[in-house]
Amino acid sequence: MTTRTPPRAAATARPGAPASPGTAVRRLTVRQVRRGTLVVALLCGGLTAFVAQQYEQTFSGAVGLDSLAALADNPAIRTLFGPALALDDPGGFTVWRTGTVAAVLAGIWAALAGTRVTRGEEEAGRADLLLAGRVRPATLVRTALGVLLTAGAVIGAAVVAGMLAAGTAVTGAVLFGALVGGTAMAGGALGVLAGQLVTERRSASGLAVAVLLAGLLARMVGDGVASLAWLQWLSPFGLLGRVAPYALDRAAPLLVLVVLVAVPAVLAAVLAGGRDVGSGRWRGRDRARTPSRLLRSLPGFAVHRVRRPTLTWSLGVGAYYLLIGLLATAMLDFLRDNPVFAELAADAGFARLASVEGYAASLFSLLAVPVGAYAAARIAAVAGDEAASRLTLLYSRPVGRVRWAGWEAVAVAVGTVVVAAVGGLATWAGASWVDAGLGLGGALGGALSVVPVALLCLGAALLALGWFPQAVLAVGVLPAAGGYLLLVLADSFGWPSWVRGLSPFAHLAAVPADPVDVAGLVGMLAVALVLAAAGLAGYARRDLRG
Amino acid sequence: MAPSAAPAVLLDSLGKRFGATEAVVDLSLAVPAGEVFGFLGPNGAGKSTTIRLLLGLLRPTTGRAEVFGDAADDVERAHRHLAYVPADVALWPGLTGRECLDLLAGVGPGTDTAYRDELVERFGLDPGKRARAYSTGNRQKVALVAAFATRAPLLVLDEPTSGLDPLVEREFRRCIAEAAGRGQTVFLSSHQLAEVEAVCTRVGILRAGRLVEVAGLEELRRLRRSEVTVELARPAPGLERIAGLPGVADVRWTTPLQLTLALTGPPRAVLRALGEVDVVRLDVREPSLEEIFLDYYGRAAA
Repeated sequence: MTTRTPPRAAATARPGAPASPGTAVRRLTVRQVRRGTLVVALLCGGLTAFVAQQYEQTFSGAVGLDSLAALADNPAIRTLFGPALALDDPGGFTVWRTGTVAAVLAGIWAALAGTRVTRGEEEAGRADLLLAGRVRPATLVRTALGVLLTAGAVIGAAVVAGMLAAGTAVTGAVLFGALVGGTAMAGGALGVLAGQLVTERRSASGLAVAVLLAGLLARMVGDGVASLAWLQWLSPFGLLGRVAPYALDRAAPLLVLVVLVAVPAVLAAVLAGGRDVGSGRWRGRDRARTPSRLLRSLPGFAVHRVRRPTLTWSLGVGAYYLLIGLLATAMLDFLRDNPVFAELAADAGFARLASVEGYAASLFSLLAVPVGAYAAARIAAVAGDEAASRLTLLYSRPVGRVRWAGWEAVAVAVGTVVVAAVGGLATWAGASWVDAGLGLGGALGGALSVVPVALLCLGAALLALGWFPQAVLAVGVLPAAGGYLLLVLADSFGWPSWVRGLSPFAHLAAVPADPVDVAGLVGMLAVALVLAAAGLAGYARRDLRG
Repeated sequence: MAPSAAPAVLLDSLGKRFGATEAVVDLSLAVPAGEVFGFLGPNGAGKSTTIRLLLGLLRPTTGRAEVFGDAADDVERAHRHLAYVPADVALWPGLTGRECLDLLAGVGPGTDTAYRDELVERFGLDPGKRARAYSTGNRQKVALVAAFATRAPLLVLDEPTSGLDPLVEREFRRCIAEAAGRGQTVFLSSHQLAEVEAVCTRVGILRAGRLVEVAGLEELRRLRRSEVTVELARPAPGLERIAGLPGVADVRWTTPLQLTLALTGPPRAVLRALGEVDVVRLDVREPSLEEIFLDYYGRAAA
């Protein structure tokens, strides 16, 4: 055999290998999550400190212990916000009012970060470059876990610092911080675990968030139904009530939190070895059985894209609202037997809780948050497709951006109606099961009355798609999640009515207990349309990314 | 240092199945240290899968892969010997080119930073830009600079020049030649047959996950048919029988005085037949790699 480049025995002297390839990987991972950690830590620490501070100024001594205690015993309130303990203490009040919100925020952020730094890096092909170096897949996963657990600790420390700055008790602050930080850790570990199981980042994120929210659902069931109280042990959210910072200050349940963090973390580390890089443990089919007929027109494509997410979100929302329907009589009986509590609840802003319509209405207002998040997530998926160059081929055809994004928005708008309607149907089904006397029309009407808020989210997401494509999800969920938080804070602390009026929820009537607020509805739809039009105008003009 | 005895790349009955799809089947191959090996095959033949198996990124269903005697799945040992350039280079959008190079040096088998700076110059890379601002070709340059700068004994290159302009591609070929001159082994998967022809000494051809041919380029040419063009001084009717000789095919008379034929194997019989007539000019052209390649797949399609 002839050779053009004869091999030589002596190779050129090679530079020595760097001592620890893990350090380079760790620095990279820290860099990838540090900004998010900072933002979530500031949000969680700031929100809790702010609420505790406000309590000192507005509540101290002004509200009778009796009325707060009555509120604490209300099953609906308990189901929604968790057990209200030590409401006479600024710390206890803050835990009750913001604990679940802060824990959900930290947990979901950590879960999304967990899938981003593991599955996302593999999906983008960047992990290949690192793994062609002296780095094992298991090392990447362990590094991601280590960094995310640290990020969770930072978030927890921020909460502790915030609560201490607000002047609350040290033990309670540390326990509360441990719970929020621990929830972030559990979320991060779940995200990394989902990244090992599922091949696509989107599905992995969905799986991790779904498991977290199932934990929240378990907490709600556990708080609402006495015989199922053991469900509280299954999620970090339930443990918040078990630990009861500022009230009982029990540290032992934190051991369960350690288990909730350790199990997914260890599973993820174990599953990381011995699998193919670039695909998860659960591989889907590579071939579809029959080609979809929907993919022959733009509207059909839009429907095809929203089909599965709509189904998943509907299932989640349906499960929650079935539970809420099932709880209806338990709560109504309680209030009928204790009319004084009903009055107190009405005084505390939960008017009409004594009737099934009032109960359903106050819980339907919450429905706007998941339905709005669904709409924002779908538009964020469009932005994600664009960044990943998946829209380039589509837009190289005679397809206008406004036309395509418009069809997508119409499909998502229809999807919000579907998800909201499923929520209404589920509530009706649950309430009918326990003979609570909630009519189908009332349930559907109440659920559909929040659709304008979800459409505001859709409009905001489209606005972001046109002008701030990096922040579609954050801007999109703002009207629902931010608006809800604003209303809660404004009501709790008696803020001026114009601040309260900024929240879409201020313009939402308590359907089915009250008639629909037509002016509010029309106003919200008009704002949503303006936002969407402005967004589409920007989208048509700007440079495509990716 | 490359161990002298073990081959740079050893694939032993390697197989990989994805569900019902057999991506790679019973692939055995040894690439000795110091060789520049070309790995050819049409789209979907399993080239990238083989490379990912070699890198330990995929787990083989059957068989095993070794790099300089170290099992491919023991990446901490095996990857001390190699550097890799993928076909689609994805970089961290927020990092600059320089930061990407530092990161890859941090996890790599040791980097010659002076040589790296030289390569950055030679490839015309602007390392100060963030990766999100890089074109496809510039991302590829980052990966190439990172790989060549390691001076690893084995370079695994998966279609490394698909996004490069001809000037950079020429620089790439020089780097390969320098690497080969230093005794580095190169495992090059490519569609650019001219490039493989220019730099490789031996090629393997993959089809539907199976290795159908491994041969030195010269050997491959010898085995394949050459195109023979004969010009005659005067018509020679007796030469019609040349079509029946062993190894001769595709005889075409372009004019009564000129014929072309494809010849496989030893030319003795043809030369003897031509010796009896008045030949003015004889032209024997060896096939290009592209013709060999098309010949393989043309036959496969038939």
